[in-house]
Amino acid sequence: MRVVIMGCGRVGSTLAAVLAEGGHEVTILDTNPDAFRRLPRNFRGTAIVGNGIDEGALRRAGIEKADAFVAITQGDNRNVMAAQIAQRIFNVPRVFCRIYDPIRYEMYKELGVETLSSTIVMSQLFHEAILKAPVRRS
Amino acid sequence: MYMIVVGGGKVGLALTQALLASGHEVLCLEIDPHRCGVLTEELGSVVFRGDGCEAATLDEAGAARADVLLAVTGDDEDNLVACQVAKHRFKVGRTIARINNPKNKTIFQLLGVDATVNSTEIIMAQITQELPVHPLVALLSFSGMGLDLVHVEIPPDARVIGQKLSDLSLPSGSTIALIIEADKTVRLATPDLALRGLDEVVAVTHPENEDALREILTSPA
Amino acid sequence: MSVRRFLPWSQPATQKSPDGAKGLDTRRILVPVRGNPADEEALRLAGEVTRRNKGTLYVLYIVEVARALPLDAPMEVEAQQARQVLAEVQRRAQREKFRVETEMVQARDVGSAVVEEAIEREVGLVVMGMSYKRRFGQFSLGEAVPHILQHAPCEVWLCRERIPN
Repeated sequence: MRVVIMGCGRVGSTLAAVLAEGGHEVTILDTNPDAFRRLPRNFRGTAIVGNGIDEGALRRAGIEKADAFVAITQGDNRNVMAAQIAQRIFNVPRVFCRIYDPIRYEMYKELGVETLSSTIVMSQLFHEAILKAPVRRS
Repeated sequence: MYMIVVGGGKVGLALTQALLASGHEVLCLEIDPHRCGVLTEELGSVVFRGDGCEAATLDEAGAARADVLLAVTGDDEDNLVACQVAKHRFKVGRTIARINNPKNKTIFQLLGVDATVNSTEIIMAQITQELPVHPLVALLSFSGMGLDLVHVEIPPDARVIGQKLSDLSLPSGSTIALIIEADKTVRLATPDLALRGLDEVVAVTHPENEDALREILTSPA
Repeated sequence: MSVRRFLPWSQPATQKSPDGAKGLDTRRILVPVRGNPADEEALRLAGEVTRRNKGTLYVLYIVEVARALPLDAPMEVEAQQARQVLAEVQRRAQREKFRVETEMVQARDVGSAVVEEAIEREVGLVVMGMSYKRRFGQFSLGEAVPHILQHAPCEVWLCRERIPN
């Protein structure tokens, strides 16, 4: 699968490494070249400096032939804008984006943008962990 | 009318002042507390601190009863999201976004923003008045209809000089709306009006016909 | 008689007192009230000064209207409360023999409304009561008081209640 990832933070770089390791063709974008130090030394994918809400940068990253696009920068608004560009202009079949703000997350889900809210996911995981954890007595 | 301005930078401040002066109810949303203080000194009780992209802030700001939302921050993605939240959450009738990167015009239109104002194009319009070239300058886009409002200056040697508007064969969907003569007289485009050199023409056109329209209005005799 | 008025947009900018104004001028005094116990001391003080000077006391009940509502929204509950509070002020004025004018004002925020009214009515003094409030465990002046202290052109007296036990 050809995957374009926007945002080389902790999650973006980890995802890129895992996908590349699994034999997928990965291109990762970030506006800051320093961010690419998070990638493993033996990363087999491509890293490109560029802004994912710029159509030109997305084209350079091979968005036109991509099977999937993931927007995972720190900015909710940048993520949803890039996701919508990938979906509506480049017709990428699988598009996902991260939105921290739970309210915005709900709205974009209704608008048909595939989103994951790390705020909601993390609080659910903690919630389950707290309820299921064995009680430790000292 | 009640208008919400998202972003209290230089553009937001000037826009809020202009809208207040024309008698509208206006609220300017600004996220930065320090900037809010500056704005309040300047504007008074029409400044509201908060993130204009957040539904909770827009709710408190009364977006549900707003007639217009104008998103004029320096970041296109923020302007897009503010307009989308206003439109889909609060059913604001008209959303207008400032776009800083001209390439974003298409995606804004595709995603339901009613009009985009492009600072680059406006600056280009200013520059072209002082340069001996005559490109068509897009002033405003009406996205729902796929139409642009454009502006072109008739060169002194243009073929169309002397022709009546009714005699021009314009591309389909293109209509001339206004003529601004060299002495700044503004005339509605009536069929009998004849074009003169240095007239400025304001027209409505489909984006794909812009080139054809320019060709007709500017090519030399 | 209490009148209901609307203050659409309060201009900012700290205003200077009119030229030639020297010392404390207590012929016209403004007291904003909310129907709290904190109003009591401000009214007592301002009423007493007004009676002695044969001046006029302006007592305003300012209702903050949320942005979600138009400024002239009916605000029935608040209007009812305002009528009661202002009627009590009228009775007090008759009893204690000072001249008073009362009004309910709908505005977007108390601070700038008080400043604007003080300027418009050319008062020499604003007297206001405030309770001792804590917000998130810290003493808080609120938003209106600092705004009035910063922007009102006339003198401002604050009566803060005792710290409750």
